[in-house]
Amino acid sequence: MSELRFEDVTVRYGRTTAVDGVSLTVPEGAVVGLVGESGSGKSTLARAAVGLAPLTGGRITLGGAPVPARGRSRPLQMVFQDPYSSLDPRMTVGRCVAEAIPPGGSRAGRRAEVERLLELVHLNPACAAVVPSRLSGGQRQRVALARALAARPRVIIADEITSALDVSVQGAVLNLVRELQRELGLAMLFISHNLAVVRYVASHVAVMRHGRLVEQGPTTRVLTEPGHDFTRELLAAVPGRTTRRSTP
Amino acid sequence: MTADMPATLTVPSPRFWARPWVRFGVRRLRRLLVSLWVLVTASFAMIHLIPGDPVRGALGPTAPADLVEARRHALGLDDPLLTQYLHYLKGLLTGDLGTSLASRLPVSGVVAQRLPATLALAVLAFLAAVVLAIPLGVVMGVLTRRGHGRRTELAFTTTGIIMATIPDFLIGVVLVYVFGIQLGWLPVAGDDTAAAYVLPVFSLAIGPAAILARIVRVEMVGVLEADFVRTARAKRLPARTVYAGHALPNAVTAALTLGGLLLSALVAGTVLVENVFAWPGLGSTIVRSILTKDYPVVQAIVLVYGVGVLITNLVVDVALALLDPRSKIRED
Amino acid sequence: MKGRWTRIVRTPLGLTATVLVVAIAALAVLGPVLWGSGADAVDTDAILSQPSAEHWAGTDNLGRDILLRVLVASRLSITLALLAIVITVVAGLLLGSAPFVLGRRPGRLVAAVVNIAVAFPGLLLALFFAVVFGVGATGAVLAIGLAGAPAFGRLTQTLVAGVAERDYVAAARTMGIGRFRILVRHVLPNIAEPLVVNATVGAGTALLSFAGLSFLGLGVQSPSYDWGRLLYDGIGTIYVNAAAALVPGAAVLLAGLAFNLFGESVAKGLGIPVGIGLRAASPARAGSASGPERTGQGEDPGDRPSDVVLDVRDLEVTVSGPSGPVRPVRGVSFDVRRGEAVGIVGESGSGKSMTALAITRLLADQGRVDASRLDLLGNDLLAPDTPARRRMLGTTLAMVFQDPMTAFNPTRRIGAQLAEVATHHQGMSRRDAMARVVDRLTAVRIPDADTRVRQYPHEFSGGMRQRAMIGMGLMGTPALIVADEPTTALDVTVQQQVLDLLTAIREADDVALILISHDVTVVGEVCDRILVMYAGRIVEDMPAADLAAARHPYTRALVDAVPDMNTDLDELLATIPGRPVDPADVPSGCAYADRCPLADARCQAEDPPLAADQADSPRHRVACWHAGEALPAQPDDQSIDELVESP
Repeated sequence: MSELRFEDVTVRYGRTTAVDGVSLTVPEGAVVGLVGESGSGKSTLARAAVGLAPLTGGRITLGGAPVPARGRSRPLQMVFQDPYSSLDPRMTVGRCVAEAIPPGGSRAGRRAEVERLLELVHLNPACAAVVPSRLSGGQRQRVALARALAARPRVIIADEITSALDVSVQGAVLNLVRELQRELGLAMLFISHNLAVVRYVASHVAVMRHGRLVEQGPTTRVLTEPGHDFTRELLAAVPGRTTRRSTP
Repeated sequence: MTADMPATLTVPSPRFWARPWVRFGVRRLRRLLVSLWVLVTASFAMIHLIPGDPVRGALGPTAPADLVEARRHALGLDDPLLTQYLHYLKGLLTGDLGTSLASRLPVSGVVAQRLPATLALAVLAFLAAVVLAIPLGVVMGVLTRRGHGRRTELAFTTTGIIMATIPDFLIGVVLVYVFGIQLGWLPVAGDDTAAAYVLPVFSLAIGPAAILARIVRVEMVGVLEADFVRTARAKRLPARTVYAGHALPNAVTAALTLGGLLLSALVAGTVLVENVFAWPGLGSTIVRSILTKDYPVVQAIVLVYGVGVLITNLVVDVALALLDPRSKIRED
Repeated sequence: MKGRWTRIVRTPLGLTATVLVVAIAALAVLGPVLWGSGADAVDTDAILSQPSAEHWAGTDNLGRDILLRVLVASRLSITLALLAIVITVVAGLLLGSAPFVLGRRPGRLVAAVVNIAVAFPGLLLALFFAVVFGVGATGAVLAIGLAGAPAFGRLTQTLVAGVAERDYVAAARTMGIGRFRILVRHVLPNIAEPLVVNATVGAGTALLSFAGLSFLGLGVQSPSYDWGRLLYDGIGTIYVNAAAALVPGAAVLLAGLAFNLFGESVAKGLGIPVGIGLRAASPARAGSASGPERTGQGEDPGDRPSDVVLDVRDLEVTVSGPSGPVRPVRGVSFDVRRGEAVGIVGESGSGKSMTALAITRLLADQGRVDASRLDLLGNDLLAPDTPARRRMLGTTLAMVFQDPMTAFNPTRRIGAQLAEVATHHQGMSRRDAMARVVDRLTAVRIPDADTRVRQYPHEFSGGMRQRAMIGMGLMGTPALIVADEPTTALDVTVQQQVLDLLTAIREADDVALILISHDVTVVGEVCDRILVMYAGRIVEDMPAADLAAARHPYTRALVDAVPDMNTDLDELLATIPGRPVDPADVPSGCAYADRCPLADARCQAEDPPLAADQADSPRHRVACWHAGEALPAQPDDQSIDELVESP
């Protein structure tokens, strides 16, 4: 039982309310997409879940208990948007992934674990010896995923993980996300501004605007019969809807 | 600021406090008051931080104990600390800066007599630094913009570092030697004639001017790469309009942000330069007072210098707010 | 890392500074050993003597040799300066990292205290502490050390805050790593370089400050002596023996300079990002030189359809890189007709933005443009710049840039920035120009344009700024709008509004459009024709309707790598192995060959020309030896990405 629940979550910075009474559930083993425009509060919601933003109201639970904000056991992990900023430029890939492995175990065991994780995200284990600047954006994002997996999370929050990448490597990262979900049964809150990307990876979708959740439900339902004007507006704005034919 | 706007005060519009200038003024005033309070408290604390008995230190080990005691009493040093602090604050508000240990004269008189010479020196040097640095930096920026004038840049940067490194008192010594002793063109002491201002003002201004010119150049080079300068070129404006109309105000704004500290350092620089040129200002007085342990005078002059720095910072911030509309809304 | 340091030492400035620092350090160690006794030798026969062969810098009031005393004083001067800078660095690091370690409230208090203290110049603080700690060497070390602390603390604080914002710090926090450990493990190593550089410069400053305090008589007291003390004594006798003041002064200066120059040259050396800054070699001389690969196709001007707005033939852009010239655009030819919308698609580094800047003559100093033809409405843009041509370009060519946040001058009102076009090029009065601005802003659907013109760019939202940018282009009567990633920085709904606006303008006045984007779907929606760029060349030129039937393997991968609303959910997305080509190192043969599943020996050897390969669609050109061939099925389990080769 490792369901991630947001219950009436509110986050305020001074006078501005970034997240306003959001209730949302990420069921076990499911990928939930969270869409919205910049400033809609979707990233703040993610940061609140992992303890990077203070809660003003409501609560966030994982498997019925509050998400631990102290200690080294962190069953909720986050992958950030910009892989150029989320990896310490001075740390080798191996140390970076190893740092996230919960303490304990032998040195050899940790090294084996790092190798296993790198292979899991389709990186050559030899990568462990290099610093991030030697890797491409897509490879870095896969290192970030390996690091998140190293903490043995029950749920991963992915915050716009493809939007800083070049078009040609986005596909590889999205394929990996789907594979991890299918093979490891990993639950994920997948944040994106791109409806087509969310459609591809998520079974459920939630739409945020001005800090509030305006609509949520199964992806196919929300995208075919949107119930809220803003969802319709978002759908209408997806480029390529009007002129492009479907790819064979 | 609000005092001369009674009309707005009697009918306060709800949006009054939301106006950028009002918010800027309130915020800036608050910062000024906090800084002032810190400064006053620090100058008060100075005497109490000195290890041992400052009066004993000032009068020397041979002074009779009852004289030390009497002097301590006269200065109020045997009162509780809080009483002394309140007394100090009250004194400041009424213009009473205490009494000199050495001359037994009121310190306010000493400051009043010495302040004008220092003020004249600082203001002239401030103006000289700005007038020298900004045009030089701008011209150098245009000449050494990306892909141009590598050698000019190297020569300018190296000269700049050297000029900025030479401390003002050393420049002063060299100027005294060359123009005073060797050539005999200019007076090297006192403030009696206009010619006597030339050497001290230059000693004081050259260092900050060199640093400021470097900052302006770097900012200018940076601004010339900025997107909005490309926009200005996309409008196909003539080059001089692009430089003077779009690049210059932004470069100066950015340079002033960094250069503000420099200009307030210039205020303190007067201490050294005054001692080179026997300038009858606060700087030579404070050094003499530190050596003779005349603490009330030291305390008062530190306070005056501090206020001078705060005023300089305020002037820079207001200038920035006028030049760049965004700086008004920027939080510290 | 090593390479950067040796490069610093190799610059003339860096070399001089390094030699000086080493020499001064040696002097500080050896000086008192070699000349210690000579410096203290009293010679009552030669009191206050002028420089002579025996005493090169003369003697002091006890007949001691001044030059020897200056040499011996180096140790004390340097030691005191180093002690002071150690105090500064330690106190500064504590103050600067406190806000990060202590968390929000106590951290803010420390930051506020530092903020107030840093406003007061170091000399004033040093005087304050000199009073507190007393006159003398110890007092001066403490005074100068502590006086530097607020500035160093502020610097540390800024640097720490910069790194603390990075996501790897956030990632470490979500892993439950303590703040102090994050500081030591992730933050400090990443700010070590600027801190060391500033500490070095600070050592020079401390040295000079010491000289200042000693010069005032507040520093080292006799019988000890440092350079400042010798200077203080020398000033007293400057009329008798100027060398007594000038020699210690020169010593102070040389040592201070050595530290400062060393720090500065290291800072300069480290500040230049390696391998990124493509610097221009020479100012672009419009049309003065021809491209080396000019093909000079003998096309008669008469052959050209008269409705061509922009005609580009064999366009090349050359910039100078760290190791020789680099050509990010390598022979691009296309034309744009009246009212036509042409999209240029490519990934970062493909040369698409360089192409935009080159055809609009905005590359200025960044690089050199060569072409066999570059005509806008029949005007040769390679000809030298004249006021008449500026007027023509200013009124017929409109530009829209990527980032509307930075594309406007932040210090001037929106209205004035738009009006400039009309006052400069159309000879309008200020009043008429402003009326035109209001009219144009209304035309790009900005509400309340008459009050908006008095606002500054930061008072506009992102989408509104981009519309104002388009409005700027409409101040004249544009025949061509070049939009470089105009919607990348905008939200999807705003993106749609901006694209709709561009389409509406195009249809209303038959304006041609060049839309540059990394997003093939955006281009496909707006444009009539799509040019796909890879490694500085056009690899495919096709009608937008043919996008689904693209023939180049790169274009096909681009289309299939990103899901759209119709992507089959059971299929894997296409991936392109490897990395984009580095413009400084373009392979011979087809530039895409290394990443292409269809590549064979011919692709590695010969660069395919851009040509129509199907008789039934002459407007569809492709540069590929295997255009349209079936791609091998993607393996179900993606192959392990090979480690990229060493840089």
